[in-house]
Amino acid sequence: MAAIELSGVSFRYPGSTGEAIENLSLNVDDKATHALLGASGAGKTTMLNLLSGLLLPTSGRILFGDRDVSAVPAAKRNVAQVFQFPVLYPRMNVLENLVFPLCNNGWKKLDAAARALEIAKELGIEIVLEANVSALTLFERQLVAIGRALVRPDVALVLLDEPLTSVQPELKWRLRRTLRKVQADLGVTMIYVTHDQTEALTFASAVSVMHGGHILQTGSPMEVHDHPEHEYVGFFIGSPGMNFVKAEVKRGAVRVNGTALASTDHAEGECTVGFRADWAMLAPDGLPVEITGFRPDAVQNGMPVGIASLKHDGNRLHVRAEGLIAPGPSHVQLKHHMLFREGRRVA
Amino acid sequence: MLALDAITLRAGDPPLNHVFTDAAITVVLGANRSGKTLLCRVIAGLTSPHSGELLLDDAPLASYLERPVALVTQSFVNYPAWTVADNIASPLTARGVARSVRDTKARDIARKLGLEALLHRYPHELSGGQQQRVAIGRALAKGARVLVLDEPLVNLDYKLREALREELRGLLVAEGLTVIYTTTDPVDAFAMAHDVVLMEDHGFVQSGAPLDVYRQPKSFTAAALMSEPTVNALSDGKTVGAIRPEHVRLTRPGDGAVKELQLLVEEVETNGTHTFIHGLVGRDGWIVKVEGMVRAEIDRPLQVWVREADILRFESH
Repeated sequence: MAAIELSGVSFRYPGSTGEAIENLSLNVDDKATHALLGASGAGKTTMLNLLSGLLLPTSGRILFGDRDVSAVPAAKRNVAQVFQFPVLYPRMNVLENLVFPLCNNGWKKLDAAARALEIAKELGIEIVLEANVSALTLFERQLVAIGRALVRPDVALVLLDEPLTSVQPELKWRLRRTLRKVQADLGVTMIYVTHDQTEALTFASAVSVMHGGHILQTGSPMEVHDHPEHEYVGFFIGSPGMNFVKAEVKRGAVRVNGTALASTDHAEGECTVGFRADWAMLAPDGLPVEITGFRPDAVQNGMPVGIASLKHDGNRLHVRAEGLIAPGPSHVQLKHHMLFREGRRVA
Repeated sequence: MLALDAITLRAGDPPLNHVFTDAAITVVLGANRSGKTLLCRVIAGLTSPHSGELLLDDAPLASYLERPVALVTQSFVNYPAWTVADNIASPLTARGVARSVRDTKARDIARKLGLEALLHRYPHELSGGQQQRVAIGRALAKGARVLVLDEPLVNLDYKLREALREELRGLLVAEGLTVIYTTTDPVDAFAMAHDVVLMEDHGFVQSGAPLDVYRQPKSFTAAALMSEPTVNALSDGKTVGAIRPEHVRLTRPGDGAVKELQLLVEEVETNGTHTFIHGLVGRDGWIVKVEGMVRAEIDRPLQVWVREADILRFESH
């Protein structure tokens, strides 16, 4: 296993005009779990292929530990990958699938079987070693696929590409828990690529939010949620995403069309005020809005609670509310807020 | 008004009776394989029911081609070699409507759906959400009164799902269509439904306004279906209690009678907005839903509380 370092990596697909990945730098500690989180088109798949060696960077360096692998093709990188759907040899049993990567690397049969058993125990699949993989559930097959990725002790990096996709929703957390347990037990470096914030925030100790071929922010799950450095990060993480309203700082207050929403000691000028649904409340005065809908999704202490949809200047906003909320004009007050300029957080 | 009169989907299935509210969204909520897709096909006229009748304004529905019902499936099929305009107008093409009329109609519909700028694009040049709107546009061009959407958001990522729920709802309600929308996700029901119909084993379990069904489920199954994530079970032999994940608390509630329980924590998952703590109470798997990002130690017991008033009790069988 190794620390992974990308410095100034760019990649452009042949024939395309723009960079799919542009001047990207990333550090993943040895034995760490790191998530690359972004919507489709953010550059996640290109990153996976750059890490596995299926694509080589147009410029920049990729280091595995102190080994420069920038020009090293996939077969020589010692990277294992787990895909969305279990990739296994359908005619082999579980044990044969697990020993296959080892025997290919010149392991003796007995040693390979011992190692396979060790990994199978770790994953809790030792009782199905003799079973043909076609007889297993998708959940079990994905465990075997994970086993295949982990069986070689010399693997430098394990890449996980939305590995929970094929598993039933109510079993996803079990597979994720197993993944985390084996990661900790075996001390493997894992990079987990996903568009799903729950998977990223739950699985990884560090999350990089990707957008347009860049990493906008890297931090702990708590940091990227509570302290987005970028408007897009605030929007992408959290359900609903952060609200944004054009504002200005004047005479010690954040103002929208002159209405003071919060005091601030930040420099005067135009900005965007960002607030999460639970940092705001409906009130008799404040930011004027139109309530367009209230769809409670729970009842707490007899009171319906949920997210109210609002419009302000044609912008859609979401605020947590409770009680009986009718459509019509209202106002919003802020309990907490952040300020952004040119997309970046300034306060 | 669309009504199901003692419809059975297959031999031996329970009869389905329901009157769908006109010009409103009815969400049919059920697990995979509960019969949702078959119900959609029966309403659209692609499959005949085993028995019973489908009535529109008290008259039996016409055969598939004349039926004012359109079906949009989860794979939102569009004609790949046709532009957005031609895709939207395709039901008119099939009827031999002149091109100039088709184009005007397609443009009107595209405007409503926010697709006007994309009329000359091809489906593969569109995002998932846009492709889906084209499929809905085709249903509108057909002049359908009833629109059946079979798990329309299932293939999309969560951020798009979030936006489309709100967008779709506004759009469908504005069009005055009677919408039947199937899903496995209670979040869709809360966000979109005028009425919700719960489905299990090809039968209807309960129907009503989403919050009414949430407050007063008739059975444990109904409580579980209308809960995201599913309810926790607490049995005392005579009755079985269903407790919603958002009603399990990490601090002792001040008011009324409470039950104190030990949860052995197995996993803590979060989407930033909520934290879901999975664990065991006795031998039952439980999930606790709390606001914000909360830490809890795995493989450790955690004290949790439930208000007696929040326990939904059902006869156990």
